[in-house]
Parts: sequence; structure tokens; C-alpha cells
Amino acid sequence: MPVTFRTENQLGVIEFNHPDSKVNLLTADCLKKLDLILEEVKEKEDLKAILLVSGKKDVFIAGADIKEIEKITQTNEGEDKAQAGQKVFNKLEDLKVPTIAVINGVALGGGCELALACRYRIGTFNPKVRIGLPEVNLGILPGFGGTYRLPKTIGLSEALKIILAGKVISGMEAYKIGLLDRLFPQVGIHEQLLKFIDEILSSKKTKRNQSRKGFLNAFLEKNPLGRAILFDQTRRMVLQTTKGFYPAPLKALEVIKNNFGLNRNQALKAEAKGFSELVIGSISKNLVKVFYLTEKFKKYMPPGTENILPKRIDQCAVIGAGVMGGGIAQLLTQKGVWVRMKDIDYKLIGNGLKTAEKIYKEAVKKRKLKPHEVKRKMAQITTSIDYSGFKSVDMVIEAVVENLEIKNKIFKEFSNEVSDNVILCTNTSSLPVSAMAQATRHPANVVGFHFFNPVHRMPLIEVIKTPFTSAETLATAFQFARRLDKTPILVNDSAGFLINRILLIYINEAGRLLEEGWKIQTIDQIMTDFGMPMGPLTLSDEVGLDVGIKVLHILEQSFGARFKAAQIFERVYSNGLLGKKMGKGFYIHPMESRRSKILKRIANKEIEKILGTRSAQVLDHDEARKRMLYLMVNEAAMCLEEKIVEDVDTVDLGMIMGTGFPPFQGGLIRYAQEIGIDKIIEDLNTFQDKFKSDRFKLCAHLANLA
Amino acid sequence: MERIAIIQGIRTPFCKMGSSLSELNAQDLGRIASRELIERFNINVKIIDEVIFGNVSQPPDAANISRVIALLSGIPLTTPAFSVHRNCASGLESVVTAALKIQSGDISCVLTGGTESMSNIPFFLTKKLQDIIFQFNRSKTFLEKIQTLSKVRLAYLEPKIGLNLGLTDPVCGLNMGQTAEVLAKEFGITREEQDQFALRSHQRAIAAREILKEEMVAVIPPTRYETAVEFDNGPRENQTMEALAKLKPIFDKHLGTVTAGNASQVTDGAVALLVMSERKARELQLEPLGFIRAFAFAGVEPERMGIGPAHAIPKVLKKAGLPLKEIQAFEINEAFATQVLACMKALASDRFAQEFGFTGFTGEINPAGLNVNGGAIALGHPVGATGGRLILTMLKHLKRNNLHLGLVSLCVGGGQGAAMILER
Repeated sequence: MPVTFRTENQLGVIEFNHPDSKVNLLTADCLKKLDLILEEVKEKEDLKAILLVSGKKDVFIAGADIKEIEKITQTNEGEDKAQAGQKVFNKLEDLKVPTIAVINGVALGGGCELALACRYRIGTFNPKVRIGLPEVNLGILPGFGGTYRLPKTIGLSEALKIILAGKVISGMEAYKIGLLDRLFPQVGIHEQLLKFIDEILSSKKTKRNQSRKGFLNAFLEKNPLGRAILFDQTRRMVLQTTKGFYPAPLKALEVIKNNFGLNRNQALKAEAKGFSELVIGSISKNLVKVFYLTEKFKKYMPPGTENILPKRIDQCAVIGAGVMGGGIAQLLTQKGVWVRMKDIDYKLIGNGLKTAEKIYKEAVKKRKLKPHEVKRKMAQITTSIDYSGFKSVDMVIEAVVENLEIKNKIFKEFSNEVSDNVILCTNTSSLPVSAMAQATRHPANVVGFHFFNPVHRMPLIEVIKTPFTSAETLATAFQFARRLDKTPILVNDSAGFLINRILLIYINEAGRLLEEGWKIQTIDQIMTDFGMPMGPLTLSDEVGLDVGIKVLHILEQSFGARFKAAQIFERVYSNGLLGKKMGKGFYIHPMESRRSKILKRIANKEIEKILGTRSAQVLDHDEARKRMLYLMVNEAAMCLEEKIVEDVDTVDLGMIMGTGFPPFQGGLIRYAQEIGIDKIIEDLNTFQDKFKSDRFKLCAHLANLA
Repeated sequence: MERIAIIQGIRTPFCKMGSSLSELNAQDLGRIASRELIERFNINVKIIDEVIFGNVSQPPDAANISRVIALLSGIPLTTPAFSVHRNCASGLESVVTAALKIQSGDISCVLTGGTESMSNIPFFLTKKLQDIIFQFNRSKTFLEKIQTLSKVRLAYLEPKIGLNLGLTDPVCGLNMGQTAEVLAKEFGITREEQDQFALRSHQRAIAAREILKEEMVAVIPPTRYETAVEFDNGPRENQTMEALAKLKPIFDKHLGTVTAGNASQVTDGAVALLVMSERKARELQLEPLGFIRAFAFAGVEPERMGIGPAHAIPKVLKKAGLPLKEIQAFEINEAFATQVLACMKALASDRFAQEFGFTGFTGEINPAGLNVNGGAIALGHPVGATGGRLILTMLKHLKRNNLHLGLVSLCVGGGQGAAMILER
């Protein structure tokens, strides 16, 4: 039974304990059982109080069952589903006996809403306590009364912050805003609870934790004008963060706004309606798919490594103190790994230290770290201009300049300086890892470990397997990536691996569009309108055109003319307009020291000059977008055909995490499937005829993806 | 009794107060040396049973500095740590304490060392001002507060400089330089003798730049991270007798002979040394730099603290059963040129030996074998660290020259001498 009822000395206990599962979910079945229990309890007037507890370790209730939500395709189905839950929770709320949710772990979504329907919420000091309403992340809104009860419990502005951002907070944070009424130590919690119940029953004082609302918030919430300002500001903020692509937060905001002052029945009805509208939409369906994807890759291990015990990594050498090396050193030390940073001179190493410290200082500014913690983390980076100290490392990550000759030489050198069973990684973005492996004494220990820039923000790592890579090496790389809070994907050794290969065919096409007469901003806007976090030319500026050109050359060598760099790229490159690091690329980038962050980028006029006069063409935005996107789809099909990656899921997840491909589109291949693979094939054929270029030549495997 | 091995050591460069290393405090310097020792020599931190560092100024923000260093260096948090203080011999004291603990059978491996950031010794408020601030905080009414504040006098605002307080002997009331003047006058050591000694210290340190680099870890100081400090910055390449002669005596303006040029420099730096029982070293197949043969401490008058080595040296020789002439190399810390010269004179005198019962264990120290790679006059004297540096420099010197016996000694503020015989 997922939920049971018992009485202990005049105390009612409703215990959630889902059989055969590590977590509790509010399935339809569980709700039904809870409903029956509440019917029974309603009659028992001799009870002093009712505790709602979980039989699971570190979990109260993890939420509703996503599988049930996923299946909803009709609005009335959605409404029914929400109302069914709401009805049960109303029953809970209406009990005369005081109800207390005892939260000693995760209480998310429906779990949090259940707690909100109780009269009191008690948390513990268990660090696993996480409370929140993450529904909007799945493209829906809390449908079991969360939009109605949370504002009532903690105030409008705090509630909006949680619901609209799908935020999940710690027990301490929940206590601070009044979501939890008490925090008790796990040890001796039973006695504490009994005391608390006595307190409730005996005195008339308020036992609820009155949140320490700021004066401003209280002022805003208490009068209509203040509320109008609050809603308006919140709406603007939501639009800024979602760029209008995600309807759920806006819908939730609308529901909360319209419901203000309405009674429970009216409010819950509106909530159920809002929920049902969102839940049947394709965006929600895509986001659920992405959720499953991320869950899958959180646990995924490459075939053959499932039963291998990965090596523990405590010390890691990082060779190369550039932007990547510095970023990697920062990430590693943040996760408690000691770093030996090596480069050819101390000035370069100094720059690497500066890079790392800058990232840490940003974290201090955002109050994620305290200054003493930064000092302590920075102390974990030691430096060297030779291979001294390499004997004591468990792993080496090479992040030097992208030049195979140099990399081979370095691999040969340091493989002689380390112990025999050390994992040797390269952070190359496109060069053959197998070649580096063969330069070492232990090719089985070599693996590609490709971080994305900026290292501390990008959640993906491409783990590159060569024919020599041992299962232990692979397992260790996967486990280590997870320790760094990154998601690893398995990619076979081939030029550009997965992400850069797909990304560059796209950026290159943007270059061709530029040559054809399109404006820089227009090209970028077409893609940001599609949902990409930045346009292809902005991206080029961020990464640096020199890097892009270099990878294009490598890709051209391996895959031929379709990767031949657009002429304009070569010319802009030779003019030294490399992008942000030079202050000028396709756009003008003012120096950071000028404090005001420019919101609108200005295109660099020099590019126009380099382009010269271009033939005026009839510009078709649709066609431009299709060219850029479908080339990516076609390239991804080739990657799958060549077995660079295992499956479509890897492509979809990789593109979302590695390039920011819009999650609401569900991933590159899923998006293509939604458009229709046959339509894409048709368009690609048209392009090939129209532009007389083989770069649009169909990958035979594409048809199989339908 | 178990012989004590010193496995390896690393130190930071020694840099003059307020120069390259001033952004790093004593705990930072200590952890930099310690971590480099661990990584460069591939030491498994789990073998370390205890961390013992010496430090004189005891930074207020790093109570029990050894524990702070241990945690910042990645020593397991289950490994305990405590700090030792024997003033200028604190670095050496850490090694001695480790040796005694190992010999007692309690433990077998200790991370020792010494650290000092003289750039970071704080200034203090006067007691009067401190009292007023306390009172102010306790005042309840506005009027009370005003009344309290009105008690402040200009003189109360003058800060007390921590460094000066530390260098002044509270018992005899003299500061360290003044104690050096006492010895100069007692032993009749001339300004020129002292300057000559100082000049040689610089010349030797300059000649030994690359040799000394072997002991060091390059430090890239925050917050600018621009360049690495790879060498001690005290030694002067173009030091001359003329330049030294131009300096005015500091501690006795009229009749004195001790100048900034013939006294040790005020410096930042740290040393870390790994100490373990010989048996443990053999078990782990580590090749020690050398071994401790014997150590000794002696007390002298606080106002003659610089003569300490003249007492500690024969005492340690007697303990080891070695005549002075068997010692192949000496490091006597150059707190002041005059103080080292005074010690040499005392040790060469039969009367001194008779007076203190050292007969058979004194003699002349050949200047050619003393402080051959320069001393604190050139390299600087980060008080808590120097004892460790002498041991490290001596062991490396013995090894390089295939010598067997070396002796290091320091005078100690407050009136002590410390000495240790090292062998390999």
C-alpha cells in the first residue's frame, strides 16, 4: 500500500511508503487511497493531531507521477486530473484535527502541495530536505492547489519567486520564508513533535512561523497598486528570462493574479484550467521528454563498464593554463580535487590562476561562496613549469593549444612522468584522441574529456573513446564527470566529435548567408527567435573565430568540402577580428571595465567593408533558418550513421547541454521528427539544386530517423 | 633510541618585509611550502601522524597555525596538529618536538616546519584606547557615549607596532639590536669586522642563488598573479664595504656599530620538512636527506641573547660526544654579524670553555666552513622559519658535497641558544 493510516496514543499517522520504490509519488492510485483514509479519519474526533510522514529515507514525496501527466492529451482530462487531486487536498485541509506534515527529505511538486494543505509543516536539519514547486520546468503549473495555497502561506512575492522559476529550496531557506514552521534535528524528532503538538493544543499563541517578510514586500502585497506593480515587474522579469518561449510561468502568473481575493473553489478551478491548457501543449511534452533524457544520462554508463569500479581521483594535473585550463582548475578545486597546473612559464600560469580566481570571485559576488572559501579553494591549485609533482596525480587533463604535433609531444612526455595507472585526458575539441593515445606508453589509459567553454557553466562533457581506451578508464571518466556535476556523453573518436561537428556546419552556413547579403543581426535573430541562446555569429564572437576556423580546417580535412570555411570567415580571420577577446568580431565588444553592460550589440562596420558589395537577393527568413537547422539535422544523421554516438537521445541531450539548443523544441532530432523527416529531406534536396552545393547532400541514414 | 630521519624539505623564497610575498600571510606561506613538499616528493598524506609548525608572531586570525596549515595543505582532517614557539628557534623546535614524539614511540612521521609573515604582523591599539572602546560599547545613553569619547587623547591613538613589540625583550627591556650592541661592546667587535662579515654573507648568497633555488618552490603571489617569485630577494649583487660603511647605527646612534647592513633582514618565508623514524623511512623506501645526531638548548642572559650559540654548540657536541673539529660545516644564524662573531670569539677562548665547563667541546670555527651559502644578513630572517631553513640548507649542502657532519645553531630572543647536529 502506498499510503497507510494508524493511530499511536491518540495521534493519527498517515504514512506514505510506496512499495518497491525508493521514492514516494502521488500516483492516481495513491491519491485514491489517501482519499479513503481521509474519509475514515474525518470521523475520528478523539485524535489530538495527525502526522503526515514518509517511510522513505530522505524523501517525503517526490511529486506527482510524470508518466501520468505525460499521457494527458485532452484539456478535460487535465482538468479532471487536477481536480481529483485538489479534492483530496481540500479534504485534508478541512480536517478539524490539526495536521502536520513532517518533511525529512524531498518534498517537490505535489508533495509540496500536500504539505501546504496541512496546517503545519515541520522540516528537519537533514541536508536532503528540498522543497519546491518545479512544475514550470516541465512546462506546466502546480495543479493541486499550489498556486492558491503557497501565496497564502508565504506571501505573494516569495510565492511568485518559487512557482514561476520552478525553484527548489533547502529546509533552512524554507524556514526563513515561512514555508516551514519549525526545523527539528532528525535525532529525537519524535519527542520534539510531541512537544510541538502539546504546544499547539495548549496555548492560544500563533504556532505558525510568521515569515520575516521585508517591509517592501509587505507593503507591495497589501494594496492593489502595490500588487499591480509586483505582478507587472514579475511579468517583465519572466519575459526576460524565458524570452517568451515558455508559456508555463506566464500562465502561472496569470492564474495567481486573477485568483487574488477569490475563494478556494473559484481559485482551484482556474488553476485546474490553467494546468490543463499547458499540459496538453507540445512544449510541455517536449520538456517532459528532456526531463527523461536528463534522468537517463544521469545514470548512463557506457556498455561494458557497468560493473567496473571507477578509480578515485583526488589529484589532477592540468596542462595548459589558458582559458580552458584555468576554468578546469577552478571547477576541479571547487569540487575538492587538487590541481597541479603546468604550463611553460609562470606568467601563463599566473593567467590561469587569474582565470580561476575570477570565476570564484563572481561566485562571491552572487553570495554562493564566502571569501575564505575562495582562498581555500585557490590554495588547492599548485603550479609548476616542469613535470615535478606529476608522480602524485591520479589524472592528467591536457588543455594546451589545439595542435596535434604539440599534443602528441606533450602526451609522450607526461606519460613518462606519471604512475602506470593514471588516467590521461585531453580536452581537445576536435583532434584525434587515438593519435595522442598512441604517443603514450599506456594507450588504454587515454580518453578524451571535452569540456565546453565556459567550463563552470556548460553542463556537458564529451567523453571520447578510442579503440584503445580501457573500460576502467572510461568508467572513471564518466564517474569523474558526474563528480564535477557535469553530464557525460559517450562519443567515438572522430574529427570534431559530436557537438562541434554539428555546430560548425551550422555556423559555417551562417557565414554563407552573410556572404549572400544577409545582415549580421538578422542571421543571429533568426536563430534566437528559434530559441537558441545566441545567434551563430554572436557565438563565433564568444568562442573566437580563430578557434572556429581551426576546427573547420580539421573537419574539412576529415569530411571534405562541406566543411570548407566560408570565405568571409577566412577574410575576417585574416583581418584579426576574432571576436570578444579582441574587442571586435562580427560585433563590437566594449571592454568589460566600462561598467555598463550593453544590452544591444552593435554590428562591426568593418565586416561590411570586408564583404564588399553583395548581390541583392530576395531574402526568405524561413529558408535561412531551414538551411542552418537542416544542415545540423543532416550532419547529426551522419554522426549516427557513422556510429559516432550510440543513439538519437545522445544527440538530443548533447545539443541541448552542449550548445543550448532550445529544450522546448525537445532536442535536434526530436524537433526534426516533429517537423517531419520527409519534409526536411525534401527541403534539403531543393537546397542542393538551388545552391548547386554538395553540402546539402542527403545522408542516407536520415530517412531512418523518421 | 630511534634515529630520526629528515626526508625532504621545501621552502618558499625569503622576501623582504613589504615586498613580493606580503600579500600572503603566515598560514599561506606555510601551506604553500607544505603542499609542494607533498606533491613534489609524492608523499602520501596518510602517513603523516601529526603536523607541528613553529611560528613566532602567531597571527590572530590563525590560532594554532599548524592546524590551519595542515588543513589548507590537504593533510587528512583526522591528523592532529599543534604549534610550537621558541622564538627565533621555533622552526628548529618543531623538528626537535617531532623527534622527541617519534622517539617516545607515540608516532612515526611528522610534517614540521616554520613560517613567518613579518609583513602581516598587526599593529595594536593602546590599552587606554581599548578601554575607552569597550566602555563606549557598553554605554547606554547618548550622553554617556559622548562622555566616554571625550576621554580620548591624541596620544592614545598612536598604534603600537606589533613587530617592534615582538623584537623587544620584556624582561631586560632591550630590543634585539640593543642586545647585539651589548655583545659588540663586550667583545670589542668593530664596525668594520661586522660589515666585512655582512658583505661576505651577501657575496655567498649571490653565488649560491641556483643552489638555494633547489630548496624552493616558486610562488605566484595573489592577487595579481603576474610573476613568480623564484629567488630570495634579500641578497644584493653589488653590495660593497663602502655602501655598508655609509649606513648609520640604528640602536645606538652615537657609539653603536650595528646597522641595517650588518643585521639580519626582516623577511617573510616558510619552510616545511618531513621528519620520520629511520625505520619508517626504510619501510616506505624513502631516501632521507639526513639524520638528526643530537640537539641542545641553552639559556643565557636576555640582554646577551646573541651569545646563545656559544653555549648551545658545546652542549650539543658534548651530548653527541663529538669534538668541534669533526664538524665539517656550520650554519649559525646571522641575527647580527656582531653576535655571530662574538660566539666565534667565545668558542675560541679556553677561558670561556673553562668557565662554563665546555672544555673539550669548543674550538675555532673556520669561517670558510660557516654559512657557506650566505646567511640571514643576506637571505633574511623570517623568525619562525629560519630554524627550518638552516636544517634544510645544511642537509642539502652536506649531500651536495658528500659531507657527513654539520651543525646548525641559532641565538634566541629572550636569552637562549639552540643547536642541532645533522649527519648523513
